[in-house]
Amino acid sequence: MALLGQYLVNGIMLGTIYALVAVGFTLFFGVLDVIKFSHGDVLMVGAFAGFTAAMAVAAVGISNPVLQLAASVVFALSVTAALGAAIAKWLILPLKHAPRMNILLVTLMLGTALREAVRLFYPDGSNPKAFPALLPTSALTLGDFTLRADSAILVAAGISVIVGLHLLINRTRLGLAIRAVAQDEETARTMGINYALVVLVTFALGSGIAAVAGVMNGLYYNEVNFGMGLLLGLIGFSAAIIGGLGNLYGAILGGFLFAMLQMLGAVAMPFASAYKDVFAFAVVIALMAWKPTGLIPERASERV
Amino acid sequence: MVDASVPAIEITGLCTAYDKADVLQDVSLVVPQGQITCLLGSNGAGKTTLIRSILGLTPPHAGSIKIFGEEVGGLPTHRVVAKGVACIPEGRRMFPKLTVAENLRLGAYQEPDEAEIRRRLDEVYAAFPRLAERRGQLAGTMSGGEQAMVSIGRGLMGKPRVLLIDEPSLGLSPLYVKENFRIIESVRAKGLTVFLVEQNVHQTLAISDTGYVVSGGRVVASGTAEQLRNDSEVHAAYFG
Repeated sequence: MALLGQYLVNGIMLGTIYALVAVGFTLFFGVLDVIKFSHGDVLMVGAFAGFTAAMAVAAVGISNPVLQLAASVVFALSVTAALGAAIAKWLILPLKHAPRMNILLVTLMLGTALREAVRLFYPDGSNPKAFPALLPTSALTLGDFTLRADSAILVAAGISVIVGLHLLINRTRLGLAIRAVAQDEETARTMGINYALVVLVTFALGSGIAAVAGVMNGLYYNEVNFGMGLLLGLIGFSAAIIGGLGNLYGAILGGFLFAMLQMLGAVAMPFASAYKDVFAFAVVIALMAWKPTGLIPERASERV
Repeated sequence: MVDASVPAIEITGLCTAYDKADVLQDVSLVVPQGQITCLLGSNGAGKTTLIRSILGLTPPHAGSIKIFGEEVGGLPTHRVVAKGVACIPEGRRMFPKLTVAENLRLGAYQEPDEAEIRRRLDEVYAAFPRLAERRGQLAGTMSGGEQAMVSIGRGLMGKPRVLLIDEPSLGLSPLYVKENFRIIESVRAKGLTVFLVEQNVHQTLAISDTGYVVSGGRVVASGTAEQLRNDSEVHAAYFG
């Protein structure tokens, strides 16, 4: 029972991280109909930016973990938001009328370039870095079950970001513009919406959210490494697809679903928990065969 | 404000092409302020392309487009809209997964004042009580006639100085067509300039002040509505 509780906390934790990655894919697809395969590596850059900021703050003698954490998150967010907007402006918008395949390839290559750049140019970048434990590790114990404060804080933070995004998309003028562009770009422009600006802001937003996921991941595993974006990007992409690409809530659902599958794999096969990803991806493949447009299809109704 | 003698729209020597094929060739026309000016032509004559050129959706490769005397050729669409242009597009082009109220709000996207937006919403709801009843409904689930109301309301939400209307009668029942033309006339009565693009010759000329006829991407006739009604070119463009 206690073990189950632990798995549950783990699942919610990972689900939150995956959901944060998946919403990026879905936002980019919404406004520009593109899959940006460098998303996972942008996340990794964010995690390294967060790590660097935490280290830099510690190096100048500030040992208050709250300040370190704030510096880490703010720097990670700024770097990735700028990176995301730059990618949209100089790489993706210029290729808007090119075949979709070109954008896939370009972002795939960009992802590799980012990954290799961190490996080669970051000091000792080829080795994993120990992310400082900036959150309190005190624990709440209920019988056999322990809830660590850091897990609770991470989950709460991640869910706040998701709720914040929901409010931004549904309650603000910017959110209305993003939804309008996602549904009909030309008519959105005719309404007086600055299309290019909305695209840049959306890419900055999605990338910044990925950075939050990257820092969360670093805090949770106490490690960042140059390859971390590969698997996280793939999982986020799968989550967005099984949820129904283009649908924000589908992506969030997909993220939690994927984490649940991983946990299920780990519980069902305790002798081979290393295979939990294999199990989860196998189920994703089956889900895609069953529902090719995702659990909450966004585009299907418009094809009619 | 702008001198009343300055045309709302003045197009000179406009050429627009998709890929390499010219769709508009050396089109020149003037839309005076406070009037309904119509552009008639059959399918494929280049009517919608002209609207797209004015809005900057398909930038022209030659010629000039002036809105109230200011050159807008080459500007991105949102900056053309900022000059006081609004469009009721062909096929209505709802945002199907947004509510009626959200669709209308988007019409006033460039208006920063929330109180002003609410005031305009109330005006639109007063003109179309049906929309007030359905403000929370997704626009994509409405009937064609109701969508036409949303589209017209959305065009008025921006308080434009000149309104481009592309084929308002397309795909609507005669009753709604009549209703739409009545609304267009009432819009002019409020002093708004209208540039109306239509295939429906008789009803269009009945409410227009002046008009142009395009065929094969060129202006083949122009004049007052009265002149066009009697012009053989008009008949040739449609029936010849």
